[in-house]
Amino acid sequence: MNPVSRFLVELQDITLLFWRMLRGFRKQPRYFDEMVRQMDSIGVGSLAIVSLTGFFTGGVLILQAYPTLEYYGAQSSAGQSVAITLIRELGPVLCALMVAGRVGSAISAELGSMVVSQQIDAMRALGTSPARKLVTPRIVALIVTLPLLTVAADIFGLFGGGVVAYYLYGLDSNSYITSLRMGITIEDILGGIVKPIVFGFIIGLISCHKGLTTQGGTVGVGRSTTDAVVLSSITVIIADFFLSKVLQGFFWEYAFLGRILDVRNRNSCGRAGNDLNGNTGDRVSERRSCFR
Amino acid sequence: MLGGSGSGKSTLIKLILGLLRPDAGTILVDGEDITLCDEQELTEIRKKIGMVFQEGALFDSLSVYDNVAYRLTEEGIDEDEIEHEVIRMLRFVDLEDAIDKMPIELSGGMRRRVGIARALVGSPSIVLFDEPTAGLDPPTARTICELAIKLRDLEGVSSIFVTHEMNNLKYLTSEYAIVDSEGEVFFEEEGDKLCLINTKVMMIKQGDIIFDGTDEELKLSSDPYIHRFIRGR
Repeated sequence: MNPVSRFLVELQDITLLFWRMLRGFRKQPRYFDEMVRQMDSIGVGSLAIVSLTGFFTGGVLILQAYPTLEYYGAQSSAGQSVAITLIRELGPVLCALMVAGRVGSAISAELGSMVVSQQIDAMRALGTSPARKLVTPRIVALIVTLPLLTVAADIFGLFGGGVVAYYLYGLDSNSYITSLRMGITIEDILGGIVKPIVFGFIIGLISCHKGLTTQGGTVGVGRSTTDAVVLSSITVIIADFFLSKVLQGFFWEYAFLGRILDVRNRNSCGRAGNDLNGNTGDRVSERRSCFR
Repeated sequence: MLGGSGSGKSTLIKLILGLLRPDAGTILVDGEDITLCDEQELTEIRKKIGMVFQEGALFDSLSVYDNVAYRLTEEGIDEDEIEHEVIRMLRFVDLEDAIDKMPIELSGGMRRRVGIARALVGSPSIVLFDEPTAGLDPPTARTICELAIKLRDLEGVSSIFVTHEMNNLKYLTSEYAIVDSEGEVFFEEEGDKLCLINTKVMMIKQGDIIFDGTDEELKLSSDPYIHRFIRGR
């Protein structure tokens, strides 16, 4: 089969799996216990690695950005720089990649060995739909837990940034926290939570699909595990780009525009900042204010 | 059902169960054409069928009890009833002691027997055995055959027994189970006064049925392939 038709067949299989999973919601039994169990192993189980990833990412962001900020005399916006990068991009993406590596591989290996040892056939023979019993709970668990994990990663990241800023660069912690609070808008946080919902869905669907289509014994399990991790990681990164674009269209663009306007204001009438500072109800202007 | 490796025995079993869909033709289960059924209707039909897989195919994340109880748990049946049925089935395959073990702790033969118990839960009227004795030592293989014979003669279950071992064929076509006055089950061989007619032999070669008849007819067959299969050379 040539690559194009293989891609199309794969896409068809994934779509069918998605469809069967959706139908799984409609009918009894819904396997809530199974969902909770999966949330525990996927969510709680990944909390440690995700927090560590977040902590050090936040740390390294400050580590690299602080000297540049200092050069421009903008040390006080260190918190903001970490917050935006982390909450909008790195938090969701790194978290998704870690989970793809830990959970995606586990899902496809588990389902793959169930296929190889005929357990999936046995399940169907005993009158259970594998899509409903195995796929739906895993995808639901990922969709629910990945945003929560991302929030944890973000918080640890901001904390890590603060630790590095305070201990390595001697930045006043008050100034860091103030800059954080001014730098984050509700839109950033919402966007940063919408993303992992989509990522969780992508990781779950691809890993389950790869696992359930395993062929060729133990070697096949290895192959589908690798495929699941690689494919879901790449898809997450590609999807991140387009999601960012879409989110910009929805609400981030407003923030960007605000910032550009702010720069123009400053250029034209040097003291525009003061007028804007008075307008505390506008979150965008709040953020702009911390550029100064 | 006899046939060499790769002759399509397992495929046929999967077709009967609706795990695979045929490109053409009809499959009748209890007079109902399953090729026209959707997945939900198939689920209903599968309730009448028990399936014993080659390696047992037990769910290795579940204990023996949960494996055997699987079908009933899925149907949401009362816990006491499930327990009663599971113990009854495990007693049938003589594995009551293993009830709390995990599949990984069991030997190959025990796993096969748990697989049989799981297939029998819910009293299906049809049981499909897909090479249940493959890779087992002769005495263990014999106990599996005895279970199949007991099912046939004492429980009135129709079954398809896929195998390529001639020993199994001999047991299944020449022995029958009876219960004596004390309730003890024992096996007798057919002889001059009694000839088993409730078991037929079918042979598959490369996906085609090349023989269909009794074991006596099989031995008289002039087909060179069948000859080689029976004699082993």
